[in-house]
Amino acid sequence: MMTPLAINWSHVWLVTGLGFCMVIALLVVLIFILKLLGAVVSSAVKDPKAAQPKAIAQAPAAQAAPAAASADDDLAAIAMALHLYFNGVHDVEPTEIHIKRVERSGWNSKLYGMNNLHR
Amino acid sequence: MGDILEFFEQMGFMNITIQQGIMLLLSFFLLYLAIKKQYEPLLLLPIAFGMLLTNLPGAGMYHSELWTAFLDANSPAYHSYGTIMREGGLLDILYIGVKAGVYPCLIFMGVGAMTDFGPLIANPKSLLLGAAAQLGIFLTFLAANSMGFTEAQAGSIGIIGGADGPTSIFLTSKLAPELLGPIAIAAYSYMALVPVIQPPIMRALTTKKERAIKMSQLRPVSKTEKIIFPIAITTIVALILPDAAPLIGCLMLGNLAKECGVVDRLSKTMQNELMNIVVIFLGLTVGATATASSFLDWSTIKIMVMGVVAFGCGTAGGILLAKLMNVFSKEKINPLIGSAGVSAVPMAARVSQQVGQEENPSNFLLMHAMGPNVAGVIGSAVAAGILLTMLG
Repeated sequence: MMTPLAINWSHVWLVTGLGFCMVIALLVVLIFILKLLGAVVSSAVKDPKAAQPKAIAQAPAAQAAPAAASADDDLAAIAMALHLYFNGVHDVEPTEIHIKRVERSGWNSKLYGMNNLHR
Repeated sequence: MGDILEFFEQMGFMNITIQQGIMLLLSFFLLYLAIKKQYEPLLLLPIAFGMLLTNLPGAGMYHSELWTAFLDANSPAYHSYGTIMREGGLLDILYIGVKAGVYPCLIFMGVGAMTDFGPLIANPKSLLLGAAAQLGIFLTFLAANSMGFTEAQAGSIGIIGGADGPTSIFLTSKLAPELLGPIAIAAYSYMALVPVIQPPIMRALTTKKERAIKMSQLRPVSKTEKIIFPIAITTIVALILPDAAPLIGCLMLGNLAKECGVVDRLSKTMQNELMNIVVIFLGLTVGATATASSFLDWSTIKIMVMGVVAFGCGTAGGILLAKLMNVFSKEKINPLIGSAGVSAVPMAARVSQQVGQEENPSNFLLMHAMGPNVAGVIGSAVAAGILLTMLG
């Protein structure tokens, strides 16, 4: 522990101010680099599209429309699922239990024979 | 008869001090919080158990005096790991990993392998929010100095505001190892309390209208960008700030292993086995440093108080910058995502989502908040590097 008089306040203020400014400055540099990276990569991705044959490039708009619509549907479904999840809303299960009448069929004949036919 | 008496004299019950008793009770309380309340149990449980082990009289698993001698330039054991290996207990030997700064870096590797930087790459402006949230670190550094801590200690206390456990441990083990126990416990305790600490500050600093702002969908990020990102960040940050290289390098190595897709086995090992093993070692040994003599002190209470201040200032810094960005930007951002700029991945982002949905249930801020959240991890590692450079 140091007494207040023993503290080198000029250095403390320097570390505080310069340190925070350096964090900001370094991360601003990273922002520019990320933007540059995004621009370079997206232009590299666009080029092959430009080189595609006309037949593909001129594909009817009708083909793209269902894809966009289905993407919207997907997003709507995901949004609804998240909404239900975060609100704890879901189907309320009935807690009543009913006895179901067993009917004859090819699928349950053995069970039916073991239980219901003993009269 | 003599043997029986000697046996009784060696029992821990006969040698326990009041301070050790208090520390044992504290460790029981932390175990309760970890198991019953599930506050960061993966870390709090080993930390609390390490605290329990180190305060058992006569167990000899951790020797704080050995580490004091390790730091004393006049001692024959100065910087002698051989002495530690020869005379230390189990926890002393495991503690070498903390002392050498190995465990926090390995944890960062696992964190990198589990983190998706896509939201950050899609919206690079998030980095500004991650930077602004480091305000708490530097304001707390200032406050800790005024409370009588040395500059190195104040830097270590301030880094609690980064809400990043491994970074706190990394920096404290380098700058103020004597405070490692209280700082690690404060950092992890407050990280667990993010959902309690942040929402009142978020509500106080934003209007209803601001909290209801909907943000446009993020652009998709290509695999190429995700692969280049860790390589570029490591190169640039390490060239500008070499002291941040261990943390950033390990974080980005883990992320590269995840994104490149050719080393799935390594990526899974980093995410699971390596991460889990290191968490056990780190938690146990950090808890072990919380001996009665070092923990039951006024400075611990001051550290706990300043930890909250650091968290609060960091949260406020992120929110206020987001509001400022809205003044100059055409595309509005929800200021609630600014609070996620303190690291605490992904809990801080989840808090942004929850508070945002209180105003507008159809608003989904989670992915937008993940950008500042992972930016906060980079920001706190950078801040640690800066403090290490200036104070180390």
